[in-house]
Amino acid sequence: MIRFLLKGILRDRSRSILPIIIISIGVMLTVALSGYMRGAFGDMIDQNARFSTGHVKIMSKAYAENQDQIPNDLALLGIGEMVEGLQQDYPDVEWVPRIRFGGLLDVPDESGNTRAQGPAAGMALDLLSPSSTEIERMNIDKSIVSGRVPQNPGEAIIGDEFARKLELSLGDVFTYFGTTMEGSMTFKSFTVVGTIRFGSIGMDKGMVIVDVSDAQMMLDMEDGAGEVLGFLKGGVYKDEVAVEMATAFNARYEGDEDEYAPEMFPLKAQNNLEGLLEYGETMSGLFVFIFVLAMSVVLWNTGLLGGLRRYNEFGIRLALGEAKHQIYRSMILEATIIGIIGSIVGTLIGLGLSYYMQVVGIDISEMITESSMIMPTVIRSKITPELFYIGFIPGVLAMVFGNMLAGRGIYKRETAKLFKELEV
Amino acid sequence: MDTQPIISLSDVSKRFPVGDGEFTALKNINLSFQKAEFAGLVGPSGSGKTTLLNIIGSLDSPSEGKAVVMGKSISALSHRESALLRNHHIGFIFQIYNLLPVYTVFENVEFALLLQNRSADERKKAVMEALDWVGLSSMAHKRPDKLSGGEGQRVAIARAMVKRPAILLADEPTANLDAENAHIVLKMMKKLNKELDTTFLFSTHDEKVMKYLDRIVHLRDGKVEEDEIITTQQAAS
Repeated sequence: MIRFLLKGILRDRSRSILPIIIISIGVMLTVALSGYMRGAFGDMIDQNARFSTGHVKIMSKAYAENQDQIPNDLALLGIGEMVEGLQQDYPDVEWVPRIRFGGLLDVPDESGNTRAQGPAAGMALDLLSPSSTEIERMNIDKSIVSGRVPQNPGEAIIGDEFARKLELSLGDVFTYFGTTMEGSMTFKSFTVVGTIRFGSIGMDKGMVIVDVSDAQMMLDMEDGAGEVLGFLKGGVYKDEVAVEMATAFNARYEGDEDEYAPEMFPLKAQNNLEGLLEYGETMSGLFVFIFVLAMSVVLWNTGLLGGLRRYNEFGIRLALGEAKHQIYRSMILEATIIGIIGSIVGTLIGLGLSYYMQVVGIDISEMITESSMIMPTVIRSKITPELFYIGFIPGVLAMVFGNMLAGRGIYKRETAKLFKELEV
Repeated sequence: MDTQPIISLSDVSKRFPVGDGEFTALKNINLSFQKAEFAGLVGPSGSGKTTLLNIIGSLDSPSEGKAVVMGKSISALSHRESALLRNHHIGFIFQIYNLLPVYTVFENVEFALLLQNRSADERKKAVMEALDWVGLSSMAHKRPDKLSGGEGQRVAIARAMVKRPAILLADEPTANLDAENAHIVLKMMKKLNKELDTTFLFSTHDEKVMKYLDRIVHLRDGKVEEDEIITTQQAAS
């Protein structure tokens, strides 16, 4: 019977083409939009993780409470020992100390007078250790616009846009003015060895990157760091793992009144990312819901029209001895076949679009020139395993559901009128 | 010969609601048909021919009286049981051939057997045999739109006969055919009636059909006016 139905579907274009087109478009939109949203949210989360939150982050309790102010006076101390302990306790996580700092950049002219000045957002990473993975993690190599990565103490890389604004060139020296963790004034000169563009407006406008040992010395933070970031091996954020790890870690310090006691935060508990993640999931769910609803209504109508067109056929089949439930079942089977074909076509086109958007992306840098958020300037789709079924299942369901509604008409058909109906 | 009637109607009446009242389409019909009869229900429009065919074909049930077809009381059958009875024992031929346009001649005839879940080999053999009966084996792979009116009706006969039903009900089967094709079709049906012992029951007011019938039941205003047995000499063979 399936073969018989398939022949009907293939030969009777008006029975199959319109529903297949409708489903294909719906599935394609669902796949492409889901892929785009996953890519956009994924990139945002990934960038936040790499630049700011890690997959988990440890700060002192007091630092965490005021972290927007970057209170390095409340930083963690004894970092070397702490990181060593963490590596042993959590071998599947890579731990890296980071120091964020703010201050003023002063660029002198040939005679030593100020030529240009600007506020800077500094980030200190482990750039000089041979075993450091920070350069790779931050994608610094590929983000360098000119020059190179610091290889010696006293070297810095600076945001390309920031460098142009301050008219800094490679080899130029600038002086950082700020405060130590004890609150006294500090200044240190760095040589610009590279300019960088991360593709994040918030960072490219005022970022300075130096080695963590330089920052420790400059800020009087011997063996200290504002934050210790943990990255799950494999580089993929797993919320359950991160939350479980943070809960277990924090349980050790529960009831500890010391404001310098460490506290661990999973990614989603930082930078309002929980809301962002939930928003992403809600939007994806909404897309699928709207798609199923809209497609079902359209396909219901298509099914009703099909039912009218095939009125004679169903009459003949009833007369030949096919029961109403058998006809209804065959209609659902046909709908399933058409739904599967439409969903395959739609999924393939949607994946193709997603792939294109993954490679090319949409440049939104013009739209976020004033933004200080850590977000990518090129939004790209991301092809994930979910995309292979996120549109497929609703596509089939919408077709089946629409035809289930439309097909109920067969139960209202009166066999007693068949002879009359089949005479016209 | 089996004397048990294949169709037995006792005091069958059929009423339809019309507005606030009722229209009586059949009044106390008492008829029986034996296996291999070639009979016709004849009468003017509104005489109850089609209503009677509906009841015999288990497409409708009587308001009163008892209709027994192939030993089954029509009134007692559920929708599924009625469908099963049609599927296995009753074939239908309509005024318009009503072939499924997207399927080939072979597939149109095969459809009735698909409903009986017969194997592919069995189906193929039966379909080709049925097309042989109506002389259309060479057109097995053509679509209905490539057939003439006469050929279309012959395919409809093959579709009705392929499952070798005990009863074949035909509603004005020659109404859309010219005289030549009507005779071809009727001769074919007469031949199948003799060869396969199928009971043919026509609803008609076509003189051409009447010439072939062995028995004519005249209906008027829902009643049997006359039940006429035609002798072998009278009926065309």
